Amino acid sequence: MPASAPEPLSALHGVAAPGRHAVGGEAPLTLRERRPSLAMLLARKARARDVAAAVQRRFGLALPAPGRAAAAQDASAIWTQPDGWLLSADGAAARDFAGAVKSAVGDAGSVVDQTHGKAVLLLTGAPARRVLATGCRIDLHPRVFAPGRSAVTQIAHIDCILRQVDAAPGYELIVPSSLAEAFYGWLTHAASAYGYEVLAPA
Amino acid sequence: MSRRLAGGGRVDRGARLRFSFDGDAYEGLRGDTLASALMANGVRLVGRSFKYHRPRGIVTAGPEEPNALVELRGGARREANTPMPVIELFDGLEARSQNRWPSLAFDLLSANDLIARFLPAGFYYKTFMWPASFWEKVYEPLIRRSAGLGSAARAPDPDRYETLHAHCDVLVVGSGATGLAAARAAAEAGARVILCEQDFELGGGLLLDPAHEAWRAGMIGALLRQSEATVLSRTSVFGYYDGNVLGAIERVADHLPVPPDHAPRQRFWMIRAREVVLATGALERLIALPDNDRPGVMLAGAALAYLRRFAVAPGERAVMFTNNDEAYDTAFALHDAGIEVAAIVDVRAATARAEPARQRGIDLRLGSVVLGVHGRRGVRGVTVAARDGANAKTLSADLLCVSGGHNPAIQLASQSRTAMRWDSAIAGFVPGESTQRQRSAGAARGLTGIASCARDGAAAGAAAAADAGFAAASGFDLPPDSAEPGTQVEAFWEVRSAGKAFVDLQNDVTADDIRLARREGYEHIEHAKRYTTLSMATDQGKTGGLVGAAVLAAARGEDVAAVGLPTYRPFAVPISFGAIAGHAVGKDFAPIRRTALHRWHERRGARFMEVGPWLRPAYYPQPGEENDAWASVLREARAVRQAVGLCDVSTLGKIDVQGRDAAVFLDRLYTNTFSTLPVGRARYGLMLREDGIVFDDGTTSRLADDHFFMTTTTVNAARVLEHMEYHAQTVWPDLDVQFCAVTDHWASMSLAGPQARATLAKAVEGLDLDNAAFPFMGVGDAAIAGCPVRIFRISFSGELAYEVATPAGHAERVWEAVLAAGRAHGIAPYGVEALGLLRIEKGHVAGPELTGHTTARDLGLERMLKKRGDYVGRVLAERPALADPDRPRLVGLRPVDRRARLRAGGHLVAAPGSAESLGWLASAMPSVELDCWVGLGLLARAESWRGKCLFVAFPLNDETTEVEVTHPHHVDPENARVRA
Repeated sequence: MPASAPEPLSALHGVAAPGRHAVGGEAPLTLRERRPSLAMLLARKARARDVAAAVQRRFGLALPAPGRAAAAQDASAIWTQPDGWLLSADGAAARDFAGAVKSAVGDAGSVVDQTHGKAVLLLTGAPARRVLATGCRIDLHPRVFAPGRSAVTQIAHIDCILRQVDAAPGYELIVPSSLAEAFYGWLTHAASAYGYEVLAPA
Repeated sequence: MSRRLAGGGRVDRGARLRFSFDGDAYEGLRGDTLASALMANGVRLVGRSFKYHRPRGIVTAGPEEPNALVELRGGARREANTPMPVIELFDGLEARSQNRWPSLAFDLLSANDLIARFLPAGFYYKTFMWPASFWEKVYEPLIRRSAGLGSAARAPDPDRYETLHAHCDVLVVGSGATGLAAARAAAEAGARVILCEQDFELGGGLLLDPAHEAWRAGMIGALLRQSEATVLSRTSVFGYYDGNVLGAIERVADHLPVPPDHAPRQRFWMIRAREVVLATGALERLIALPDNDRPGVMLAGAALAYLRRFAVAPGERAVMFTNNDEAYDTAFALHDAGIEVAAIVDVRAATARAEPARQRGIDLRLGSVVLGVHGRRGVRGVTVAARDGANAKTLSADLLCVSGGHNPAIQLASQSRTAMRWDSAIAGFVPGESTQRQRSAGAARGLTGIASCARDGAAAGAAAAADAGFAAASGFDLPPDSAEPGTQVEAFWEVRSAGKAFVDLQNDVTADDIRLARREGYEHIEHAKRYTTLSMATDQGKTGGLVGAAVLAAARGEDVAAVGLPTYRPFAVPISFGAIAGHAVGKDFAPIRRTALHRWHERRGARFMEVGPWLRPAYYPQPGEENDAWASVLREARAVRQAVGLCDVSTLGKIDVQGRDAAVFLDRLYTNTFSTLPVGRARYGLMLREDGIVFDDGTTSRLADDHFFMTTTTVNAARVLEHMEYHAQTVWPDLDVQFCAVTDHWASMSLAGPQARATLAKAVEGLDLDNAAFPFMGVGDAAIAGCPVRIFRISFSGELAYEVATPAGHAERVWEAVLAAGRAHGIAPYGVEALGLLRIEKGHVAGPELTGHTTARDLGLERMLKKRGDYVGRVLAERPALADPDRPRLVGLRPVDRRARLRAGGHLVAAPGSAESLGWLASAMPSVELDCWVGLGLLARAESWRGKCLFVAFPLNDETTEVEVTHPHHVDPENARVRA
C-alpha cells in the first residue's frame, strides 16, 4: 500500500451538488453525503463470541443484535446478516480501518474493505419518513422504528442498508456505489415534492 | 326528464362548473359527479352497450356502474372507461361517450341488436374459428373495433404517479356509519388507523339523509383529532392479497384539470395492515326483465342518492319495481319531493310498507311484476301485470326504479379467501369465517339500518384494535335506533317474457345467454361465467352477477346457494396502469448501474450499451467515425492486437472468499482444483449447475492461505453469490467460509496488447513486471499514480494482458495514468464491442455459448473437469444424453468467400436448402487479424467436419453462406502471446 493515497472520488462526485431545491421557499429536508470508511466483518464459524469480544476491546463497541445498530467513539456497527456486521469509522479512525478491524479480530473473523463499494447518504427532516415510504417497505413509524434501529432492505429496487440516526428523523442510507447515482436520482425525485437542500459532504 | 331540484342536496349552488360531454357545453355544481351533473341537465342517453350497441343510461350512483363509462380529458391525458358516478365534476372537464360510431344518438353498429340471435353466447368462439391465420389479422381487429370500450392515449402520460408503502394496526375500508364507527373506535383505543373511502365525501349512506349529518360531522371531527388516524377520501381499495397486504388507489388530482406541481395524479397505496375491517356496505342488484337496460331504468338506491345528495329529480313519473321493503324509502322520497310515483310494483303478496304507500295515494300493486319496458332511447312506459301475467296494463313513466334486494359488497372479503355463506334473510351471500386477520362489519355482512350498522362497526373497530394489542377506550354516541323495520326480501331474480333481459349490462349478457351456456354444457358457475362473460366486465358484475347465478341455478333446477358465485379477484375496481407503474417508467424502469469510470467514458463520448443492469461503453467514436460504428470497433480491436488497449471491466462480478475451508469450498464449487493454487497466483475456473450444465466461469486468485478473490461474468455475479451462499448454508454447513460481494469496491481495467508490459512498467510502482518475476497468472499488489492497485496477469483477448484493479474512488486517476503511460505506444481505450471481437477471434466462450444448455465438453472445456474429488454438477453431467459424443461441440467457422459476412443465430446445414440442422452459429465478428469474418458455433459430430465446409443458413433473411470448419482459436492457437 502506498504511504498516502490521493483523495478518492466518491460515487456521487459531481452528482450530489450542494444547493437548495425548495418548494414555496421551504426546504424541510436535508441530504448530505457521508464518506466514512466501511468494513464488512464476518465471524468465522463458531467464532461470533470471540469477534464480539475483540471489537469490544479494540473499539469499545458492542456488536448489535439483528435489526439494530450501535455506535461508540471510534466506530459504529450495523447488523447486516447472521454473524455479520457493517462497521464504519470517520476521521482519524477511518485510516486503514479494515486493517485495524482485521488486526483486532485476527483469525476469528473475515474482514472486507467496503469503503469504495458503498455510498452513504444522510436524509434528515420531518418529511423523511414519507419520502422513504414511496420506495421502502419497512415500517418507519416511531412506535416501530427509532434511533438505533436498522434494516437491510431494498429501496426503489436498490439494495439499501438503512439506519435511523436521530429522532429528527434522520436516516443513513447505504447503497452500492455503482447504484448511487440511480438511487440519488430516485431519492431527489421523491423529495422534490417537499423541497430539500443538499449539504456539502461531511 | 331528469332535472335539478330547486333546493336541498349536498351541492354548492354558488359554485357553477362548466364541462362538456360529446362536445356539448353544460353546467354543473360543486359537489356533483359527472353523472349527477348530466342528469341535472336532462341528459339520459350516455353510452352504447358493448356488444349490441344498445342505448344506455345511468343505472347506479357509485363505482358499480355498468353502463355510463366515458373517456375523460384529451391528448396525452386521455383515459378510458371511467364510470360517470365516480367522476367528481371540475371546471373544464371534458368527457366523451364510448363505443358509438359515428355518434351516440345514431350508432351504425346498433344493427348488431337486430341480428342478435346470430350473436349468442360463445359467438366468437364458434364463428371466428377458421382459418386460424385470420384470427390476428382479421377477426380480432374487427371485433375490437366493433365491441371496444374507450381508447387509451398513445402519447406518454405527462403526469406523475406515486407509490406509497403504508402500515397500520387497523385498516378500515368504507366510511359509512359502519366504517366511521369502526375507525373511531380503533383510533380511540390507540391503534394506528387508515380509513379509505372511494368517494370524495366521507359518509356513504349517511350522505343521503340530512338527519344523520350532525352525527357524521361529529364522527369525522373526532377521527381527524386522532394523530394516528389517516383518513383518505377518493381512495379505492382494489385488492386484498396474502399477508394482509391491500392495494388502494388515491385519486389525488383527478378532480383537477392538471395536477399541481410536484403532486402526483394518483397515489398507489400498498397497505400492510395487522387487522382489517371491511365496511364496504351493500350493493343493490337488478332484476332481469325484458329491456331492463333502457335509459331511465335505474336502481332504486341510486335514484334516492341522486335525489337526496345531488338534488336531482331522476325523472318526472316513476314506477318502482321491488322485491323488498327498503325500496319503498326511495318511492316515498320521490313522492315527497313532488315527483309522481305512478305505481309501486311489488312481487310480494304483502308488505309492512303498504299502509304508508296508500296514505301517500300511491298505486301499490302487490304480487305483481313489470313485464317489459317501452321506449328505445329512454323509458316511455312500463307494462305491469300480476305474477302470472294476468291483467297486463301499460303505465306511462319515464323512470323505472328497480330493486332486487342488496348484496353485501363481498369483493374484498372474497379476495382474502373468505368463503361465502348464503343468508336467506337477505337472499344473498355474506362472508363466512375469515381466513386472514379480517372482519366484515355492517351492511357488508348483511346488516341493515344506520344504527345497527354503526353499532356493529364500533364493535368491529374495537375488536380489531384489541386483536392488534390496543385495549378498548371509552365509547361514543351512536345514531338513535330508528323505527326502520328490518328489510324483508323475497328472492326474485327474473321476469321471463319476450325480449332481452340483461343480467350483465356492461358485457351485454342476457338471462337467455346463461340458459344457452347451461344447455351447451357450461353448467359450473366458473364455466358459465367464462362462456357468457357474465361478471367479467370492469364492474365485475356487481349489480347482476348474483342474478345471473340465480338464472343458472333455476336452469339447473338447483338452489342459488348451491351454484354460488365465481371467485372474485383483483381488481375490485378498475385502476390505471400509470398508478401501478409509478416511478418505474422510461429510464427509471429499473435502476441503472454505472462503473466508477462512467463519467470518464461520457466525457470521452463513448456510446453506451446495456449489459444486464449496467451501462458499459460499446465503443469510443473518434472524429470522422461518428456514423461508422465499425470503424471505431475495428480500430480499437486493432490497437489491442498491434499495440495496446485499455478496457473498463469493472462490471465483472467480484467476490471475496475467506475462511479456514475456503480452498475446500472452491474445490467443490469449481470443476477444477483451487486448493493447490499458490498464494499470489490466479487460475481460470469453471462452475457447473447442479444439473451438470455449465453455469459460469472466471478467474480466481489466492491472496492468502484462507483468502481468495473470485471473479464471475457480469451477468451472473448475483446468481453465483446466491449459489455459493446456498451451498455454504445448506449443503456444507460444516465448512468455515465467508463471502462478500466486492464488485463495487474494486474498479478494474484490462490492459492488453503487445505493448502492455512496456505501458504498465512505466506507470506502476512496487512491482517487477519481468516475465520471470511476474509470469502469466501472477497476482501482485502495487501502486499507480500513488493509488493502491492489485495487478493480475490474465487475458481475455489472447494478447499479453494485465488486469489492474483499484478501489473505485481511485479508478479515474489510475485509468488516466495508464493511458498516459501508453500514449507513446499508441494506446486506445476499447469498448465492449471490441472486447467481444477479440474474444471471438481467440475462441473464448461467453454468454452466446454459455446458454444454459451447453456442457463443459460441448464447449471444449473437458480438460477443466477434474478426475478426482466431487464438485457441484459432477454426477448429473454424466447423464448419457449429456455425455453423448455426437452432441454439438464448439468449432470455429470462417466464410469460404473471404468477403462474406456471418450472422450469429444461423443454422449449420450440410447443403443449401437442407432442413436438417447440424448446429448453429453462436457468435460472429469481422476479424482484425484474418481479414475475414470469424465465428464460433456448436456443431454436431464436430471432429468429422474439421477442415471441411458446410453452410450457415439464415432463412429469415434468405441467406446461405458457405463456411469452413476450423479450430475455435482463430488467433494464436498455441496460446504463446499471453505468456510472452
